[in-house]
Amino acid sequence: MLTNKRLVMALSTAALVVSAPASAQTVLNVASGGSQNMVEYITDYLGPMFEKQNPGVKVRVTGTGPGDAGSQKILEKLEAQSAAGKEVWDLDVVVAAQKKTGEMVEKGLLANYRSEISTGKLVTRDTAKTALGVNVDGYVMPMFHSQTAIAYNPDVVSDPPTSYDELRAWTEKHPKAFGYNGIKNGMSGLAFVVGWMYAYSGDAATIQNGPYDPAKKAGWSKPLADLKDFNKNISFTPGNAGTLDMLNRGEIVMGPVWVDMFYSWQADGRVSPNLKLKLLSPGMPGQPYYYGTPTKAENKELAKKFIELATSPKVQAEGIVNKFNWYPGIDANHVEAALDKAVWKKLFTDVTPADLAAKGKPFPIAPYFDDIKEGYEKQVSN
Amino acid sequence: MSNETISVGPGRTTALLLVAPSLLMIGFLFLYPFAYSVLSAFVDNGTGDWHVANFIKAVDFYSNDILFTIIIVLLSTVLIGFFAIAIAGYLTLGENRFAVSLLRWLYRWPLFIPFIVSAQLMRTFLAKNGMMNNMLVGSGLMEPLSAVSFLDWRGIVITFVWKQTPFVTLLVAGAMASLDRTTIEAGRNLGASRLRVLIELVVPQVATTLMVGLILSYVVMLSVLSVPLMINAQSPTMLTVDMAWRINSYGDYGIANALGIMSYLFTGIVAWFYLRQSLKEKGAMK
Amino acid sequence: MIPSDIVARSLALAARVLAIGGLAFVIFGPITNMLLWSVAEVWYYPHKLPLEWGFAFWERVFRPQGNAMESLFSSISIALLTVVVSLTVAIPAGYALARGRLPMRYLIMLLFLLPQAFPAVAVHMNVARIFYGWSLTGTTTGVVLVHASQGMVFAVWIATAAFSAVDGELEAAARNIGASRWQAFRDVTLPLALPGILASAIFVFLISMDEFTGTYFVGAPDIITLPMLLFTSSMEGNYQIASISSLILLVPSVAFMFVIERFLKADVLAKVGG
Repeated sequence: MLTNKRLVMALSTAALVVSAPASAQTVLNVASGGSQNMVEYITDYLGPMFEKQNPGVKVRVTGTGPGDAGSQKILEKLEAQSAAGKEVWDLDVVVAAQKKTGEMVEKGLLANYRSEISTGKLVTRDTAKTALGVNVDGYVMPMFHSQTAIAYNPDVVSDPPTSYDELRAWTEKHPKAFGYNGIKNGMSGLAFVVGWMYAYSGDAATIQNGPYDPAKKAGWSKPLADLKDFNKNISFTPGNAGTLDMLNRGEIVMGPVWVDMFYSWQADGRVSPNLKLKLLSPGMPGQPYYYGTPTKAENKELAKKFIELATSPKVQAEGIVNKFNWYPGIDANHVEAALDKAVWKKLFTDVTPADLAAKGKPFPIAPYFDDIKEGYEKQVSN
Repeated sequence: MSNETISVGPGRTTALLLVAPSLLMIGFLFLYPFAYSVLSAFVDNGTGDWHVANFIKAVDFYSNDILFTIIIVLLSTVLIGFFAIAIAGYLTLGENRFAVSLLRWLYRWPLFIPFIVSAQLMRTFLAKNGMMNNMLVGSGLMEPLSAVSFLDWRGIVITFVWKQTPFVTLLVAGAMASLDRTTIEAGRNLGASRLRVLIELVVPQVATTLMVGLILSYVVMLSVLSVPLMINAQSPTMLTVDMAWRINSYGDYGIANALGIMSYLFTGIVAWFYLRQSLKEKGAMK
Repeated sequence: MIPSDIVARSLALAARVLAIGGLAFVIFGPITNMLLWSVAEVWYYPHKLPLEWGFAFWERVFRPQGNAMESLFSSISIALLTVVVSLTVAIPAGYALARGRLPMRYLIMLLFLLPQAFPAVAVHMNVARIFYGWSLTGTTTGVVLVHASQGMVFAVWIATAAFSAVDGELEAAARNIGASRWQAFRDVTLPLALPGILASAIFVFLISMDEFTGTYFVGAPDIITLPMLLFTSSMEGNYQIASISSLILLVPSVAFMFVIERFLKADVLAKVGG
């Protein structure tokens, strides 16, 4: 009897021990509108690190999918809670792409917090102040900067094109060997199209910086018609990953990819280690991803602490550059010091810092961006 | 019927009460949000006026995709019907017991595989250097150079047919199994081939079940997002992809909902024909 | 001389072997491909088979931070709850539609088709907004309701068919010997219709397991089902992780198939659509 009683007591104590911290735990809800690797960055790397530094806190991350679509989900969640008049919203930290972050700021869904965290002054890039023409100064911290480039198989392509003009000539000679994912399924294809418009619309600077003139798109029929012709000689791929996957299986030998995804896939053995990158001139777009915290986040202080850790030089060096192959979000000078020279170099083998400075472009301001997408839909794909 | 005088089943009021909870659910979970969509398709955001601008723009932008969606769904439905009759027919009329039971075990596997998994399976299977082409090349049935990727409209059709055929077959085979065997035997005894028995005797008797299965499949295919998104989201693609794109990329519910209403019409037309047909049948029976 | 019927018979055999072999390839080819991907560690062109095999990705899926098991559990419990909710409203509705003298019966039947007919994407966006007001977003209840509305057409149509297939004379006979309406329903009609109702339960269960968009809008980020996990990894080209999630997703479905086979014979389904 005694043993039974003891057993019961032991069991209930155990149950208490097990359940108590679980119920006392604060959950920090992070929504990431990015690729799976961005979600894994938090589940596998940043989350555990933050949990260790803040006992009793559990980081819970949800991936809402890549591209604007994923960020739109976050925007919608916040908007709906705001519209429903909720006092406390169920997201603490959001990771979102430029365009939608701009919209979130415009709609008053994000808090102005940069001056309240110590890493705020380490940010120097223009993209921390404006996101596709929207003033986001103070509302965001760049998580990393990402760049698109052309990946190719040097075993098959000995002399890769270096510009959009050369690429056009190349695809005429090698039909179906170049592939991209259109505009509806991932940003790498869209980035390629934007680069095309920078090259052939005649006024890349205005598209990037404004001012917006709705009449401008009327002059785009020639580049769009050319793109339609170009599309006849290429293969379409199913998504950002689809392009890499088709490269991987030899179905295409060249295509636009995100640099970070490319390196991660190589590290995972999912694409051949031989493949190389090339940044086409006059330039291809890249973008940062932003950390933000909603105006009515439940754990506001914790969220700021989380973003502070995420944008500290050590984490930017070790996590962003070394482990995940992104370009740092904060000023590179602060990061380079915390990194091994070899690691720093690895990131810049195919695309040199000079290339990146000259040919790494921002995405267009939001209204032109929509015009490009709609122009493509109407004149190229329909 | 002989029992008209005895009251069987619920009366009018009871019947309505019994249906009410399910109708309420549909009302709250579908009609209410549906009204939202209609409003956003037909009402101008700024002025609040009714307009059809969203529909004009939708046709302007997506006429290819509208056509493409209809063709894909109709083609898939026809193929599903054909394969379902062929498989169910063999299950009913097949004389080799071993082959019949093997087929019975085999055909229904995809039924239990979710759409999203089917799309994932086909995405790697149908690619140019995917397993299908690899095996065909490996077995000498195909030249390596003639390998092509099926990840376009064909991939969508293949995935739909692969996934939905077992569902229709299951229904049709069930209906066939419960048919009166004597007419079939009689037909066979009179020397009719099995194919003739299938087409002339069996299929007409299971037509209603076949229609139900095909309509459900048709409707499901019209509203699946994962398959076209994962197999071929390029142009032309299916309307579900365009809707998601309109919302995700432009936050434009107006055109998304206009496209939604179009695909609702495609369903409505088919459903109406079916209802008229079955209404006629029921009327004739009484 | 070879008797012609032997030639015919071996030809028929060959045709049978070819047809069934072809079908087996078509059905199991993609599944085999998935199995290969789930144990491939390094696999790139032009290699026809993985270069390195192993379970490294399984460890990644099942690691404590990963949410595969959690999402499998929530998928199954949501599917079971959906079945309960659907049948609770579908059995009375099916009975009334089969037996009752309902005005505009076909219109009502058509109504149940609507949630399946209208593309889920557009409807669920709006459902998610409405649910916020009712505090249902991010709850199991919310997701179950959305799944139930998607499965309603199967639940109601198949239940209606099952009840119609039960001979009305039997119920009339029971009423004649003094049974109340409820007794006649409970003791005569319901047991006879049960196999058909089980069939509708299967479909509702599978629809719920398969459902993606509704969960995505209404459930995320609090409720994550396996299809959501699978979709993200597949779109990212994480074919190993997508394949492993697919495999996990197949377990309940296939298990269900084997259990249900025991008491649901094919001829029962004949009553569907009657």
